[in-house]
Amino acid sequence: MTASWLPAVAVGLPFAAVVPIYLSRTRPNLREAWTFLAGAGAFVAVAATVSPVLDGARLTAATGVSYLGVPLALSVDPFGALFGLLAATLWPVTSLYSVGYVRRLDEHAQTRYFAAFAASVGSTLGVAFAANLLTLFVFYELLTVATYPLVVHEESAEARDAAAKYVAYTLSGGAALLAGLVLLSVAAGSLSFVPGGLDGLATDPTLARAAFGLLIVGFGVKAAVVPVHGWLPSAMVAPTPVSGLLHAVAVVKSGAFGLGRVFMYLYGPDAVRELGVAAPVVGAAVLTMLGGGVLALRAESIKGALAYSTVSQLSYIVLGFALAAPTAAFGALLHIPAHAFMKITLFFAAGAVSVETGAKSIRKLPGLARRLPVTLAAFAVAAAGLAGFPPVAGFVSKWYLVLGALRSDLPLTAAAFLLAGTLKLLLFWPMVAAAFFEEPPRSIGRSGASEAAADAASLPDGGAHGDVDARGGRALDSLVAESSPALLVPVALAVAGALLLGLVPERLPFWDLARAVVAEVFA
Amino acid sequence: MTDPALLVALPLVASALPALLALVRERLGWPLAVATLLAQTALALAVAGRVLREGRVVTDLGGVPAPYGIRLVVDGLAAPFVVLVAVAGLAVLAYTRVGGPRSGPFYSLYLLLVAGATGVCVTADVFNLYVFLEISGLAAYGLVASGGRGSAALAALRYLLVGTVGASLYLFGVGFLYVATGTLSMARLASVVASGSADPTLVLAGVALVSVGLAVKMALYPVHGWKPVAYGAAPAGVAAVLAALISTVAAYALARLLLGVLSVRFLRLYPVVETLLVAGGGASVLAGSLLALRARAVTDLLAYSSVVQFGVVVLGVAAATPASVAGAVVQLVGHAVMKAGLFLAAGVLAASYGVETIEEYGGLAERAPVTSAAVAVLAVGLIGLPPTVGFAGKLYVAVGAAAAGAWLSVALVVVSTLLSLVYFGRLLQRMYVDPPSGAAGDDSGAASLGMRGSVVAAAAAAVGLGLTAAALERVLAPTLEVLL
Repeated sequence: MTASWLPAVAVGLPFAAVVPIYLSRTRPNLREAWTFLAGAGAFVAVAATVSPVLDGARLTAATGVSYLGVPLALSVDPFGALFGLLAATLWPVTSLYSVGYVRRLDEHAQTRYFAAFAASVGSTLGVAFAANLLTLFVFYELLTVATYPLVVHEESAEARDAAAKYVAYTLSGGAALLAGLVLLSVAAGSLSFVPGGLDGLATDPTLARAAFGLLIVGFGVKAAVVPVHGWLPSAMVAPTPVSGLLHAVAVVKSGAFGLGRVFMYLYGPDAVRELGVAAPVVGAAVLTMLGGGVLALRAESIKGALAYSTVSQLSYIVLGFALAAPTAAFGALLHIPAHAFMKITLFFAAGAVSVETGAKSIRKLPGLARRLPVTLAAFAVAAAGLAGFPPVAGFVSKWYLVLGALRSDLPLTAAAFLLAGTLKLLLFWPMVAAAFFEEPPRSIGRSGASEAAADAASLPDGGAHGDVDARGGRALDSLVAESSPALLVPVALAVAGALLLGLVPERLPFWDLARAVVAEVFA
Repeated sequence: MTDPALLVALPLVASALPALLALVRERLGWPLAVATLLAQTALALAVAGRVLREGRVVTDLGGVPAPYGIRLVVDGLAAPFVVLVAVAGLAVLAYTRVGGPRSGPFYSLYLLLVAGATGVCVTADVFNLYVFLEISGLAAYGLVASGGRGSAALAALRYLLVGTVGASLYLFGVGFLYVATGTLSMARLASVVASGSADPTLVLAGVALVSVGLAVKMALYPVHGWKPVAYGAAPAGVAAVLAALISTVAAYALARLLLGVLSVRFLRLYPVVETLLVAGGGASVLAGSLLALRARAVTDLLAYSSVVQFGVVVLGVAAATPASVAGAVVQLVGHAVMKAGLFLAAGVLAASYGVETIEEYGGLAERAPVTSAAVAVLAVGLIGLPPTVGFAGKLYVAVGAAAAGAWLSVALVVVSTLLSLVYFGRLLQRMYVDPPSGAAGDDSGAASLGMRGSVVAAAAAAVGLGLTAAALERVLAPTLEVLL
């Protein structure tokens, strides 16, 4: 336990940024500068925690507030650092993308958007660095409140319904979490995160099981585990950067992160085995992986497909934790950043496609790679990664997940990973193939469907950029013309991250942090 | 100057003045009330400070010892309520200066209410408790009628009838207790009950009547009917001060009688008491929530939400563990602040835009961003989300109930949170997301700085108290250790 300002700075900066963002609402450039300033500061603070944490220090910041003797405090351990580093890395990238996205579309209520975004990231970092379950719960609930304005952003009837559904699901999950927290405090007498689990859970197995169930449901809602996943596809009504960072990374990963805390730091592998509580979670996770994969195939919009793919992928992580075995847990930990980079690439690409061409439906993809080659190349790489192909991040994490499953008590679950990967292939291959190898719908008039005509009408509305394409010729021109740098650079950065995580995973801090987690939990 | 007797005497004596001075000049009531309550607040803080140092402060009026004289006691359990009554009384005055009513007699009743509510908190005698309950009650009936409309008079009459029945039931129960034990002093009652020499049937009958009487004052389901009517008809300032004080001190009295007079041992010996309390609290949580879901006027929504909140308080008292009772106190103090703030906010919005129903609140966040933000914070606090005081209260009650093995109570607390999400969520969605209803007028100058400031202060207090709940816990700890 080393007292340190770093976690407080990392969590505090995004929250603090809300005030200047709001105050400079009439000057968009200054307003966005605050976001980047806070993002850079938070990133530096989080990055600075990594090496001391790997050396065994636990950087702790107390707030002085406590409830029933449980302090609200921040503390960075390897698991928290892994998740915090991910959120702090992707926030500035997403902010750049957000700037490009909302300005290009001339979105309304941009100040509210950026303020809520900052508060959401602050809450996510709070979840990552929470020193105990009570603190985590506080930030987990704040995250719900802070993300609500982002989901409802569009203010259409559909957005309002989706946001209401989102809040109903997540705050109900919060209530379950609160109940589980109360029971756990009675059962174990502590809410601290202890590597390998709390002592004394075996004294009252019924109570410990009840608490476990409530905690799993509470975190399972945000991790979108079937049957409490319904909010996620609806919430895709939010602007694409929101879907990208929050609904593929921060919110759902907070749920998965919470499950990791429950499995590894509150109950621990031994208690999970003794209490026999893992089986239902394993069942739900397998069902979610496969069910989400199948539902994704039926989606019509690109974002819908991505949403169901997220539902499926998140349960990779859940299953990895639930197997309560070191290799599987290592795979799950690696899959947190791996899925984040791949999925955010897909969302960024999908957003760029919709900004540039207006295409939101999968049916409008054919031939789009000619218009947006870089964007769709990134999309293809990330999609391959999600299906588990090397050399993308998804291969490495899935390798360890499959290996861990084979070495666990339930080797058959390895088949679920492989099957789910196949479903991803079935989902993404037609999309990629259509974008790259099919002709634009204008020339496939033979289909005769009225939609095709509508598609054709909406497709070439790239405006000035379309003219550049028509002029044809130089590659550099078409690259610049593909989209604005604010949209393209984040896509490139995200896909580069996904590739690095697949090519040199052990060079990145996530690897060492994941190993440190496994070492301290399964010691 | 830290004599608890002054806590009652000051507002009681001062209450005679505004009505008299009004004969000279109408507008003298407000400054007089402010001066009185400033002194009252200082006094309350001084007494609370002494309680912190000495554990408890005792005084016998006129030096006549109990059982003949009147004894006043302020301990760790009473101190937060003494301070709450003074501070809430003072804070609401910031609203009434412009928000009204402004008449001299109004401020006489106002100070009388503060005197009665303080008396309930400091008395050490079950009969005097009745007297103070009636003083505050009578003042409250008059205050509701001060709205001046016909509906206000009718609401006040209804409130008076129901309130008097409640007070009479309480008095009836005190009679039973007197017959059973031969004393009215809380300390003597406690020792006689503990010695086992009192007829338990008589004691139980007394407790039942006293509890039902106080339940009427707290507006637990199904004796809650007066609350929406009274709050709806009263001026916003009155509704706020009533919401902060009346039911709160009744709940305090219930906790005092059950824990301080009957003792936990008695409660454990006769589990029927706890069963009935959980039944009453649970019914209030569920029925109050359902009624709140159906409410159309904002004041109705707030009134029914109070029914739920007091149900949670009763659950906390019934579990009778240090955490759950501390939770009940945190919940009571927090509810007083937040509900008063919301009634004041409703007053501000009604004065500025003429809106009264949830329907009419559509799109208000754009037109009244500050007041709306305060409403959002206060509503989130009543839902029980961190880091507000509502979260601390519910957490404590739930943890305390779980420690006692009262799983039903834990479940009810969680359910109350979920349901409050729905009915307050509806209000917030209306204000923030939905388009304007069009019915609203615009007279945004009608609300003074003091009126809006009082709302913002309540929201700030809701968060501040949430972060400092541990301090309140520390104030209570020594007393609860003795009581439990």
